[in-house]
Amino acid sequence: MMRVEVLFFGKLVDIAGASLVLNNVTSTDELLEQLRLQYPPLAAEKFIMAVDKKTISINTSLTDNCTVALLPPFSGG
Amino acid sequence: MDAAAKTNRVMERKPKNIFTQGAIDPAFIADSIANHSSKINIGGHSIFLGQVRADVINEKKVAAIEYTTYEELALEKMHVIREETFAKYELTCMHVHHSLGTVAAGEICLFVFTSSAHRRAAIDACNEVVERIKTELPVWGKELFEDETHQWKVNQ
Repeated sequence: MMRVEVLFFGKLVDIAGASLVLNNVTSTDELLEQLRLQYPPLAAEKFIMAVDKKTISINTSLTDNCTVALLPPFSGG
Repeated sequence: MDAAAKTNRVMERKPKNIFTQGAIDPAFIADSIANHSSKINIGGHSIFLGQVRADVINEKKVAAIEYTTYEELALEKMHVIREETFAKYELTCMHVHHSLGTVAAGEICLFVFTSSAHRRAAIDACNEVVERIKTELPVWGKELFEDETHQWKVNQ
């Protein structure tokens, strides 16, 4: 069984909370599909994803115990 | 290389923590400047201070900004920015401090401090580092209004 931890940041915390665990998702596309079903407002949000702290721009396969972060546009400083 | 120098090198490679809980104290900034008086190869410092602005949005005033980060990623990213800045500019030293948690309007939330033998490197590096922090560091600001509602900050 695959265990994937998902972290949300910034505005996305208002929608989905700070973190959750998904089982049986094997790629970032699959993960997004599940998250959008669970949290429909996510579909309207802009964000990039990082898998184990590496930002990705294409569908990426996930491994057991990996961490996926959803990062909306940065607004530090 | 002796043991102390070796330890020093290992420590240098480890990402430095740049985050401070709450506002950055002006006294800390003054101390940071004073700490450079012994480095007499420095000829110029450049300092950027970010201050929380009490924007008025739809007739509601921003009372504070609450900052959060993806700390592990932010520190790694800042480490890359630091290395690239030292590679590009002739700097003597560089210090970055960013607030986390709540910072009230009027308080300091970002302190970037670069020093060099001649002014141009310090000034250009400081400007570039501030821009890179704004666009590349995974930090988010939540603007808290006086009536306890909020909106998420968008960087211009």
